[in-house]
Order: sequence, then C-alpha cells, then structure tokens
Amino acid sequence: MTALTATRWRGTDFGTQVLVLTHRSLRTLVSDPRMIVFSVLQPLIMLTLFSQIFAGIANTPGFPAGVSYIDYLMPAILVNTAMQSALQAGVGLVTDMKNGVLARFRSLPIRLGSVLVARSLSDLVRTAAQLVLMLLFAVTIFGFSPAGGVAGVTVALGLSLAVGWGLGWIFLAVATWVRNAELMQTVGFLAMFPLMFASSAYVPVSGLPGWLQAVANVNPLTHAVDAARGLALAQPVSGVAGALVTSAGLAVVGWIFAVRGFRKPL
Amino acid sequence: MNDLMIEARDVGKAFGAHKALEGVSVSVPKGTVLGLLGHNGAGKTTLVNVLTTMLPPDAGTARVAGFDVVRQAHQVRSRIGLTGQFASVDEGLSGLDNLVLIARLLGASTKEAKSRAGELLELFDLTEAAKRPSRTYSGGMRRRLDLAAGLVGHPEVVFLDEPTTGLDPASRLGLWEIVERLVDDGTTVLLTTQYLDEADRLADRITVLAQGKVVAAGTSAELKAQVGRRTVTVTLADVSDVPKAQDALERAGMQPVPALNTLTAPVTSSRELAVVVRALDEVGLEATELALAEPTLDDVYLTLAAHAA
Repeated sequence: MTALTATRWRGTDFGTQVLVLTHRSLRTLVSDPRMIVFSVLQPLIMLTLFSQIFAGIANTPGFPAGVSYIDYLMPAILVNTAMQSALQAGVGLVTDMKNGVLARFRSLPIRLGSVLVARSLSDLVRTAAQLVLMLLFAVTIFGFSPAGGVAGVTVALGLSLAVGWGLGWIFLAVATWVRNAELMQTVGFLAMFPLMFASSAYVPVSGLPGWLQAVANVNPLTHAVDAARGLALAQPVSGVAGALVTSAGLAVVGWIFAVRGFRKPL
Repeated sequence: MNDLMIEARDVGKAFGAHKALEGVSVSVPKGTVLGLLGHNGAGKTTLVNVLTTMLPPDAGTARVAGFDVVRQAHQVRSRIGLTGQFASVDEGLSGLDNLVLIARLLGASTKEAKSRAGELLELFDLTEAAKRPSRTYSGGMRRRLDLAAGLVGHPEVVFLDEPTTGLDPASRLGLWEIVERLVDDGTTVLLTTQYLDEADRLADRITVLAQGKVVAAGTSAELKAQVGRRTVTVTLADVSDVPKAQDALERAGMQPVPALNTLTAPVTSSRELAVVVRALDEVGLEATELALAEPTLDDVYLTLAAHAA
C-alpha cells in the first residue's frame, strides 16, 4: 500500500505556518459570510439609534461648531466596532479550542504561536471588512461626510483597526486562560459597555456629569475616539501616537500571556 | 534497542490529587500494535497525551520514534499521527480542505498536499463528500476523516484513541482493515480501546490499565492463560433439576455455579467433561447442552480490573 507510506514531510517554517493558518481562518469566514453580516448588525443598530436620539446634541453648547452629529458619531462607532471585533477574536479562539481542531494542531510539528498570529491576522482582515461595510452604510444612508474626506476617514479607519488589533491580543490572552466563550462574552461586554459610555464616544466630555468627566478623561477609549474623530473631521489631533503605542503595548502583553496560556494542555 | 518505537518508563501524571498515571511502562517494537485496554478513566487517554507530547509527564521518561517526548517534542510530532477522541478536524472546512491544511502545515507544497489529500479521501471512501463541509458528515465519515487526518504525514507511529467508539459494525471492520494494512507497511500502532474483540484482533501485545496503573501485560493468549480458566457449562431441560445436578457435581469434586437452568464450573482439562456426564447420569439427569468455553479477554479484563479496584 504505497498510499500510506512515501516521502515524509517534517514540518515547515513559521511564516508558512502563519500563512496557511490565516488562509484557513479566512476560508471559514468566506464560507459562512453570515458572520460578517451579523457582526455589523449591532453597530448598525447603534448607529441608527444614536444618530436619531442624540441628533439634538449637535445644537448644544460644548459641541464642536459646524459638525453634524453623524460626522461626530461615526468615528466612535468605528472604534467601538473594532473593539467588539477584538472580543470576537478571543471567542473565535475558544471555539477552535472546543471543536478539537486545536488539539489536532498541537499534535503537528508547528509552533503554537503561529496559530495565535494567524488568528490575529485573520481577525484583522475580518474587522477591516466590517469597518468598510459600516462606512458604506454611513455614507450612503446616514449622510456621513466629514471634513477630513476620504484620506482622513481612511487614516481614522487604520487607527481603529490598530486599536482593535492591540485589544484583540488581550482577548486572545484571556481566551487561552478562560477557555469559555459565554464567560468571555459576558465579561467583555461588562468591561466595554461602561467604557464606551464613560468616554467622548457619544457626547462631548464637557457635557457629562463631573464624576463621569473624571472617568472619561482617564479612559483610554476617550483618547482613541478623540484621535479617530480628529482625523476624520480634519481637526488638530493629539493622541494618535499615544493610541498606537498603547495598542502595541497591549499586543505585546497579550502575546506574552497568550503564548503562555496556550501551552497549557487543552 | 533501536527498534522500540514507543518506550515509556515509569511514567507518572497527576491532576491535583488525582493520580491519572502511576509508574506506567510500555514498550512497542517497530511494526507492531500495542492494545491499551481499560475502562473510562483508567488513564488511557492521559498516556496517549503524554506520548504524543500534548501533556508533559510528572515522572518517568518516554521516547517515541527514538525521541524524548519532552525535550524533542518537535521531532516526535513530525513522526506521529494522532486520531483521538479529542483531536479532530475543522468543521467549517471540507474534508479535502482539512487534509490539504494538515499537509501544508507539515511542509508539503500545495500540489503535493492536494495529491496526498486525494489519495487519503479515496482510501477512506470519502471522495464523493470531499468538498462538503465536514460538519455535514455522519459520525462514521467524520471518524474516517479524522483517521485520514492522522495519516497525512506518513507517520511512523500512529496513535488511535478509541478509534471505533460509536462506529457501526461495517465501519469498524473497515477501520480494522486499514490498521492492518498500516502495520503490514511497517507502521507502529498504539491503540486504546474498551472493546476486547478489537484488542484481540489487532493487537500483538496488550497492556491493561486500571486506575492509572498497569495491571497486566502480555499477548492476548498469555493474558487469557494468566487469569483465565476453562469452564464447562451444563444446560438442563428443567430449572427444578438444577439443585439436584449441583449436588451431584459437588460430590464429584467440582465447584458449579448455578444460573437459571445452567451450571458453570471451572475445569482444568477436557477430560472432566466425562466426569460431568457420569455425575449427572448417576442421579438420572441428562444435559441438553454441554459446552466447554475458553477464557475470553472479557474474563481477563473483568478479573484484573476488579482486582485493581
């Protein structure tokens, strides 16, 4: 039976492993595009609700003059969507651990870090697809047309992706230790929901009660949202470098803990 | 001793206070099959996990294909194939894509990977379902795909963790035949099973695990000889005759155990059949059936597992 014994393969380099595994994750994504459609549903609902409910805020003092609420809101929605997507990266990893395919990978001569990098890269692609889809809706339906133009919005999108990617590594790390999708969803939601509201995402910080202002000012999300918003609205921006450095820091910390957690037996 | 493809010495593994493995040693020569027999929780899967580098042992050493499972895990992994209760396939991908993925990860080019996947799909009778997502496969098909996935890299040592659990009889037989062909090709196999007929048919040697310890090891015949005794079973036409027959056999120096309309007694040689016939004849009884049974692996298993408990 020559079919079962022939030349033996002994393994391949890290780059090929990452490439093959990223391709695999994207493949599952393409074969089931409902995932992407459903994942933009929630931010789309938020976009619809907030753009209607809070539209009046644009006329209040403290709101940047000459800016429509949708132009103000959309960059925050981008950042928020990227963060939700980061949580999904962790949930996706837990799903892989549960369905046994990771046990298969562990029995192969590959570096386990390649599985994590591939997960992170494919989630970056997924998030980018989501954000572009969101932007299309915002422009065509909600009349999003900020002063920064295509260039400003593209950079804001890039920044949101960077933030989501950095945070994604934290959730990957959490996933390798917690290994429970429901728990991760719940904890992730509990952590991110208040963070989103206690920030400059939906209303200017000056419009918040005093104690919330204090929280919002130290909330890293305020800085990420302000940076994305500044880029989209072509306003003077500070904090872009800060957001990028923070994201890189999160990625490094996430990587260290994810690799350690991942070594633990399934 | 270079022809030992699996060599575990005094392997121990504890999960908290629970000792999953204690002083377990096994050795499997190249091209042979070791059957690892035991109940759920006996430590079979833990041993497989240690030998496949998934779980580091707390004590002892283990070498697979000549490499240490802890210090040379990578070399071990590039020489083994695993089909487990847990190691599985990607449900989102088709059978073909699953096998191509594994071949690519092992270092095959896309072309080589596709050709290897095609070979295996054909071998496991999955060609027609090759492009369907594997989540739509039946249990038997998935198990076959899982086994194919473990064979992609032409492994020198194959670990099969309860490979036929939940399979229908025809699929079991098909799987057995594939294992036999693998062994003919010189592959070394470690098979865990709860089914004695499976161990009896496939394994050259059998190791019985109970509560993390090896309670017996040897060939199927040796194990049977070790515990097993031959028995004679007498079937009577009328249940009410059983006590009378029991008395008669006891007078003849046997230890019969009644059950419904039968009496079973251990014997040392077939000559004792004559003793049974004579004893029954003396009390005017006749057996409707008289059967001499060789010990089965079931007897071995039940006796040893009971002793260990």
